[in-house]
Amino acid sequence: MTDVHAPQSQPESAAVEDDAARSFALDQTGTAEGGSRRTSRPPAANAGWLRWGWRQLTSMRTALILLFLLALGSIPGSVLPQQGSDPGAVQQYYASHPALAPWLNHLGLFNVFAAPWFAAIYLLLFASLVGCVLPRAFRLVGAARTPPPRAPRNLARLPHSSTYSSALSPDAVVAGAAAVLGGQRFRLRCSEADAKDHWVSAEKGYLREVGNLLFHLALLGVLLSIAAGGLFGYKANKLLVEGQSFNDTVAALDEYHPGRLVSGNDLAPFSLTLNKFTANYIDSGESRGQPSNFDANVTYTSSPGAKPGTYNVRINDPLAVDSLKVYLIGHGYAPEFKVTDAKGNVYNETPPFIPANTSTFESDGVVKLPDASLGFMGVFEPTAFSAGGTLMSIFPAADAPAVSLIGYSGNLGMNDGVPQSVYQLDTTGMTKLSGSPHLLTPGQTWTLPNGKGSITFVGVKQWVSMAITYDPGQVPALVCAMLAIAGLLLSFFVRRRRVFVRAVPAASGTGSVVTVGGLTRSDASGGFEEEFAELAAEISASEKAKP
Amino acid sequence: MFKAKRRTVVTVTAVAAVLLGGALTATLLTSGKGNATTGNTVEYQAGHRPAVPNLTGKSLTGTTINLSSYRGKVVVLNFWGSWCSPCREEAPLLAGLDQQYSSKGVVFLGDDVGDTPQNALAFTSSQGITYPSFNDPGYAVVAQISQVVPVHDTPTTVVIDKTGHVAGTILGAATYSELTTLLRDAAVT
Repeated sequence: MTDVHAPQSQPESAAVEDDAARSFALDQTGTAEGGSRRTSRPPAANAGWLRWGWRQLTSMRTALILLFLLALGSIPGSVLPQQGSDPGAVQQYYASHPALAPWLNHLGLFNVFAAPWFAAIYLLLFASLVGCVLPRAFRLVGAARTPPPRAPRNLARLPHSSTYSSALSPDAVVAGAAAVLGGQRFRLRCSEADAKDHWVSAEKGYLREVGNLLFHLALLGVLLSIAAGGLFGYKANKLLVEGQSFNDTVAALDEYHPGRLVSGNDLAPFSLTLNKFTANYIDSGESRGQPSNFDANVTYTSSPGAKPGTYNVRINDPLAVDSLKVYLIGHGYAPEFKVTDAKGNVYNETPPFIPANTSTFESDGVVKLPDASLGFMGVFEPTAFSAGGTLMSIFPAADAPAVSLIGYSGNLGMNDGVPQSVYQLDTTGMTKLSGSPHLLTPGQTWTLPNGKGSITFVGVKQWVSMAITYDPGQVPALVCAMLAIAGLLLSFFVRRRRVFVRAVPAASGTGSVVTVGGLTRSDASGGFEEEFAELAAEISASEKAKP
Repeated sequence: MFKAKRRTVVTVTAVAAVLLGGALTATLLTSGKGNATTGNTVEYQAGHRPAVPNLTGKSLTGTTINLSSYRGKVVVLNFWGSWCSPCREEAPLLAGLDQQYSSKGVVFLGDDVGDTPQNALAFTSSQGITYPSFNDPGYAVVAQISQVVPVHDTPTTVVIDKTGHVAGTILGAATYSELTTLLRDAAVT
């Protein structure tokens, strides 16, 4: 998937470069450019179609198109609300776009990363990469074993060349040059000992191919890691009010999204208690009301009977239990109520209220008491302020909390088995207890009319929403991504280059005429010209150093 | 230039066709998988019944419950909460069967999850439920038994035979026929 450049050459020199240049090109073109060019025309024969399809799929162009499609396909995942991360927002979208939403749902756009078409792109990209990398790997192994090609006949026509006269015999010159090049860790191929022709071929920069291969294999590794995370990992959400605890089991979780190969019994047996949640807000200046710190103090055990630990979970500072991560993803208020019904039964309720306004934390919620035949709809104001008869919140901290309640009595409709949302009150079978909402501050009690009982606003607790994730592919994906970058750097900065030295007897009869030629494939980072000049100088200097 | 364009068109068409095919196949595969799960009763044949760990804990009224003390009797263990509509629906059935089977060596036991004792006791007294329940707001008992049988939803009913092995589970609200069938198969006459 890296660029392929044929060596730059003048037209008339093309013939001269012959096998040296051509083999350089052949190493490469089999995979990408040449491959698709050779096979882009659909063959007439039936058997050829498969071959043609495979070549198309594994061509670099297709891989790039698929990579682009993958990026394109994930855009709706960030633009549209997603079922997995925010089902409430999906409901809202349905409500505001009743005509469009079902169509988007048919296309899987509310759950992009689980959509079949997304999986199709992903799997095709995977097939394309495998089909590209595997043949390439075999070719590289082959190339690594092949000695450099024979020296071309006319070295002077190579892109880089220099000629000098030597006092030594041709075979001595070649032996000296081979020693110099070998010392520079070039791979060597020399002319046969008894041949009339004296030359040495040297090649260096195999690391470029290694880097290239590393990049491709690491890319495969990234995809495999992500796939492993999707198959064996899981994501879950749990809302906890201060003082509440839960065990990591499917029934206890509010949302649970297992990977394809995860069963409910695979959940880690940890338990967690939310002791206290602290949110600090900036109380003056321009950013007044902005949060400055969130801190959820939890006690956890990694398995039943294990020694409990405590941790302060913060944004971007998750709790790590075994291989799980527990993130803090949301918070809100849970007003605490004590309700007495007509018969004198007492109930304690601390229902989580959902923020309707995330800057003032004005929140909505319900209190449901099916056995008392009472229900309340409430609005909670952390810092209550009455502006011209309208109750509102002016600050997100619970500095002056108040709750405004509308009471209902009657059948809550919870005995007929139809599951209800804990955040909604079905008032169809109920009657309103009062015309206007009743306002309570902590400690205050509302005595309900007609002897229906009473409700006391005891105080305010806070709740946090936690995301529990298990992603076994996370670390391998990171390692592979780093390897991919390392491989890419190698393939960018290492040049594959060849140097040839040929010595022929001088016309005068003694000594020889030595030609040094150099050839590099892609010289994007530059510098081969200097390297070649240095090498040529070193080769000619080496014989002068000898006696 | 024209050739290059045409090549791109051919490639894009081929990719689109394969994508569509892949998407259809994936849709067919996933929909087939979803239809395969039917029924909410799982029965375990004698000899293949998983052993239940010894569940212990406090009841809603503060007494201690120890599952092993019920050995020798068939136990109907119901996972419920007063907040859960299907649990409220099946409660009269459970209360009735408890009375009906008490003389036949069957005991009923509840596990009250995600609830408060006050709310739960108000519910059991209004439904005439007299058998005890674990006070399990944090799902600790569920987590223990989940190592053996899936209790992935509320309500779930687990029938445990006389030797302390799971004879069957009912996911969701139990019906009369489902529960009595399981009780018969747990070797109860």
